[in-house]
Amino acid sequence: MNTDLKFEQEEGDEGCTLLRVYGDVTIQTSPKLREQLKPLLGTSTKEIHVALEHVDFMDSSGIATLVEGLQWARMTGGRFVLSGLSENVRDVFELAKLDTVFEIEESPA
Amino acid sequence: MINNDCIQDVSFTDCESSHVGKLCLQLNCDSDCILVLRSMVSVMTARAGMDALQSNRVAIAVDELFANIATHAYLGKPGKVEFVTRIDNRRHSGQIQEGQELVFDFRDYASIGWNGDLAEVASRILAIDELCPGGLGLRLICSVADHCEHKILEDGNQWRLTFNIDHGKRSKGEAHHEYRS
Repeated sequence: MNTDLKFEQEEGDEGCTLLRVYGDVTIQTSPKLREQLKPLLGTSTKEIHVALEHVDFMDSSGIATLVEGLQWARMTGGRFVLSGLSENVRDVFELAKLDTVFEIEESPA
Repeated sequence: MINNDCIQDVSFTDCESSHVGKLCLQLNCDSDCILVLRSMVSVMTARAGMDALQSNRVAIAVDELFANIATHAYLGKPGKVEFVTRIDNRRHSGQIQEGQELVFDFRDYASIGWNGDLAEVASRILAIDELCPGGLGLRLICSVADHCEHKILEDGNQWRLTFNIDHGKRSKGEAHHEYRS
């Protein structure tokens, strides 16, 4: 159990950002993810990749936070990509029937 | 580190109908006791012989329910939650059935009673724009628990989550909900 959420952010070319998340995303920590994600959801961003290979546990508040990224992608025509989902996290997306709604890649670009 | 105010009382008692006993906790809902709950889920799912994925599903349901009580019943303010978990003989309509089940009981003393319909929550078709943690949480609970009950009491709410213990088999884990785009 890792209750302290941490991030690494890399800016790529042409408005592409990689956000790597470390820790469990729960109702306690999801506001930190939202805080980190929100500035990226601007008009100058074209692609956001969220790397989740270091996230072992995610609840509905984490999913709802990521849905904001999905909504941004739908509104702006940008790409919002999740990658590196652990078996547990992928299972939660499948249970919520969101595994087919999000763009999910096996490993970060 | 877990806040010392988190646990108000803990007891480990024998349960008449189960050789593995039951665990009881009295918690403050505005503290970081989700870690304590997660540990207890871990202990009980291990006792029930559940695998890692099944244990994670149980942890999700318990986390979501506790978060719902803290957020929607107590509105983020301090409040008492009694939590009891046990492995018991499987029952249906009060009759003992073959097999066992893992049971989690939550009792709060909030003045706000949840008066939704669990079946409706589980089957509702949502639009992505309407997704919110509370609604999605209940749907996840309904997806993974074999049975979910809620009662409004005179002085609070009572919730029961039940997971069938089928060694070698996963719990239902079926989500019947769909999304409108």
